Parts: sequence; C-alpha cells; structure tokens
Amino acid sequence: MAGSVSSVYLQVIEDVISKVRDEFINSGAGETVLGELQTIWEARMMHCGVISPNMERPSLQKQTGPITPVHDLNVPPVEEYETPTAEMLFPPTPLQTPVPQTPLPQTPIQTPLPGLDQMYNIPTGPSDYALVSDSRNGGDMKPGRPSPYMPPPSPWMNQRPLGVDVNVAYVEGREDIDRGAPHQPMTQDFFMISAGKRKRDDYASHLAPGGYMPQQDGSGDVEIEFALQKETNFASTGVWGKIKTDSISNVLIRETPTLPQQDGAQDEYDELFHFQEVTNEDYNTPTPAEHDLRAPTPLVGTPKPTKNEAAEDDEPPLNEDDDDEDDLDDFDQGEEETNTQHLVLAQFDKVTRTKNKWKCALKDGIMHINSRDILFNKITP
Amino acid sequence: MSTFELYRRSTIGMCLTETLDEMVSNGTLNPELAIQVLVQFDKSMTEALENQVKSKVSIKETKWVGEKAKGHLHTYRFCDNVWTFILRDATFKNEECQENVGRVKIVACDSKLLAQS
Repeated sequence: MAGSVSSVYLQVIEDVISKVRDEFINSGAGETVLGELQTIWEARMMHCGVISPNMERPSLQKQTGPITPVHDLNVPPVEEYETPTAEMLFPPTPLQTPVPQTPLPQTPIQTPLPGLDQMYNIPTGPSDYALVSDSRNGGDMKPGRPSPYMPPPSPWMNQRPLGVDVNVAYVEGREDIDRGAPHQPMTQDFFMISAGKRKRDDYASHLAPGGYMPQQDGSGDVEIEFALQKETNFASTGVWGKIKTDSISNVLIRETPTLPQQDGAQDEYDELFHFQEVTNEDYNTPTPAEHDLRAPTPLVGTPKPTKNEAAEDDEPPLNEDDDDEDDLDDFDQGEEETNTQHLVLAQFDKVTRTKNKWKCALKDGIMHINSRDILFNKITP
Repeated sequence: MSTFELYRRSTIGMCLTETLDEMVSNGTLNPELAIQVLVQFDKSMTEALENQVKSKVSIKETKWVGEKAKGHLHTYRFCDNVWTFILRDATFKNEECQENVGRVKIVACDSKLLAQS
C-alpha cells in the first residue's frame, strides 16, 4: 500500500516538475532552480515519511540526471537526504502565508493604514470639492473593496480620504451619495443620514451662505432629528408639547444656524443612539396624522433601518467569532485525542441522506490517517 | 481545465507548498512561478488520483451498511459546494490495513465542478 502511495506521489512530483520545466526555462529561473525545487520537495516528503528514499523511480533519474543535487540524492540512500532536509526544514516556516499570495501582502497592509489616517483626517475639514470628488472615487473603489485580494493601486487609494468613508459607510447609502450628492438635495439628505461626517460637512457648507434654509425644512431628515430631540425634551409636557415642538424646532432651526452643526458635531454613534431612542419615543407618542403632516417623517423611517442595518453589520463579526470558537473547540478536541490531524480530501459525486443514514459517493481522495497517507479511487456504499 | 486546490492540504501538497515558500522567501524562486507550480500540482494530483489509483473504500456511519469505515457522524456541513464531515471513532479499512481514529475530517469538493470545465 505504502509503496503504491509513494509511487503515485513520485509520479506526481515528476509530472509537475516536467510540466513546469518550460515555464522555469522561459522565465529564466532555469533548470537548476527546478532541480532544487524537486530536491527539497522530495526531501520534505521523505521527512514526512510518505515516500521512502529507496523508492525506484527510473523516470525521475532520467529527468534529474543533469541536475547535480538530485543526482546526489539518488545515489546515497538516507543520509544525503537528511542533511538537506534538516537545513531546509528549519528556516522556512516564517513566510508561509506570503508566498502563495506574493503580490498581495503589500496591498492589505497599505490599504488599512491610509484608511485609518484618513479617518482621522476627515473631520479636520475637507472642502466641498474634495468631498464630491472623493465620494465619486469612493464609489469607484467600492466594487474592489469586497475582495481584499485584488491588488488595488495603493497610491490612488492613499490620496482619497473617502476611501475611509467608503469602508465605514453603508453601501447603499454610499451609492446614493455618490450619484446624487452633487445635484439633488434630496439625495444629499440620504447621504447625511447614512454617513454622518461627510454629510455634516456638506450640509454645513451649504447652510453657511444663507441663513434661511427652506430645503432643510422640506428635506426633513435633519429637521426631524431636531424635532425628535425637542420632543424628548418636551415629552413631559404632553400633547401640547408635540404640537409646539414642531413649530419650536422650525424656529430654532432658522434662528440658530448652529443647529445643523450640532447634529454634525455628534459622533455617528451618538447620533445613532439619540436617533434611535428619540424615534422610538416618537413612534409611541405622536399620532400617525402628525407624521403625515410632516412630510419628512417617512424619510426618517427609511434612514433608520439603514442605521439599524449598520448596527447589525457590526454584529456579524461577533458571529464570526462564534464560528471561530467552534472551530477552536473542534481543534482542541482533536488535539486532545491526537496531535495529528486526520484528514480525508476527496471529491464527491453524490451525497444523500435518509434519516440518519448517509450515503456518500466520494472519489479520487487522499486520506491522511495516523500519519499514513492512503489514496483511494472511490468510496462507495 | 479547472482544478481543486483541495489536494494542497495533503502531505505531498503541504510539502510542495513549504518548499515553494522557502524558495520564494529566500529569493530563489519567482512567486508567480511558484503559483504556476501549485496549479500544475493541482492538475497532476487530480489526474494521478483519477488514473493511477484504483483502490476503493466504502464509508458508512455506524448505521451505514459498509464495512470499511465505521464511526458516527459528528458534524456535517455543505457550504460553497464543499461537503465537510467530521466522523468520531471511525475505523478505516482498505485491502491492506485498518486504521482507527478518534476524529477524522472529510473534505470533499463537487466532482461535477471538475467535469464541467
């Protein structure tokens, strides 16, 4: 059995080596490197005990003939193998991850760092122009974002403060922002709700020139926040309070241009909390008619879910942690029983279950059980 | 031809991966070349299992009918076309040997995915 496994392994090695030979030569790496690869590979396999040094491999000898190290390996049995093995085995461990993904390591590192920096930079005061252009860039970036493995041009990302906001902001909100922000005030309001910081800046700049802001009232998102807050304050006063609240809030908004800034000044999280608390009360206290009167109210309803979703978005990591814990548990259990990981790697043709009776048609598999490798062609019922 | 990276977790695959890691990290090998080697390994290993390996095993859970491997199914999950089973107290038998393991993980990719390409 072991013999057949070894021979299959050796043939695989041979096959791989022979088929990448052209690549090696074309890329300039040359046969020497290829030979080294094969030597080390086989040495490691011997170290693992899956192939024996005495295995006959005539075809290998042919191929490896010109390559000196391999040739050496074939002549003397064990000792020659072990020297290289020990040398090779000790150093390599540190860089296991980078290798398969070699182009990648730079990108993941660079992206988050600029992002963090820019997060802090944003509040300090990007201009409106910067914001708009950035938001567009952010929109462009968005598709790339889910797959961290894409090598994005890092300088490009570094320059865009919005890269950060894109990461933070909720996706749908971002899209609205990107497309609508420059032109339509309504979308700007959406924008403001989903991503507090950026909107705040935009909004403040818009407010600054004119003290009177009809759009504010009409758009209502912002206004509602104010009104709601007022309502909480006035809650004790009862129905009267609510009616007054609207007028008062409007007055307040017009009188004090600082109001929008107040909203903006709040951190996203603070806003979140205020918002949710207030709105909850809002739903309980006022009659639906009042909501209808205030056109914005439905808008408030829409943004809220996005915020809630955002809050929910924060939760999945927790779930992931749970998964990790499970995995850890499994792993621990495995460790308790044995240090070796028993593993079967295969392809399945069909997996069916009837009550507690499972039928798995697996094929072309490698088992690693009790430090032994077993190859199989089929697992059948 | 598409391939599974599945077999890279086998002993031979891990040995190759470690070798490539080492050679890339000490500058002997171009990373892109290393990846090509891995892809070639995926192909070669798959072909070898298809063409050279004839031994058969049958696996059943405790109440499964088979005689080759017995155990009870601790975990099963099917995600992204990959089945994962964890068997407890399983016994694997083939023509030549019998192995008892307290816990074995079975990872299986959909063979149809390979056939499609």
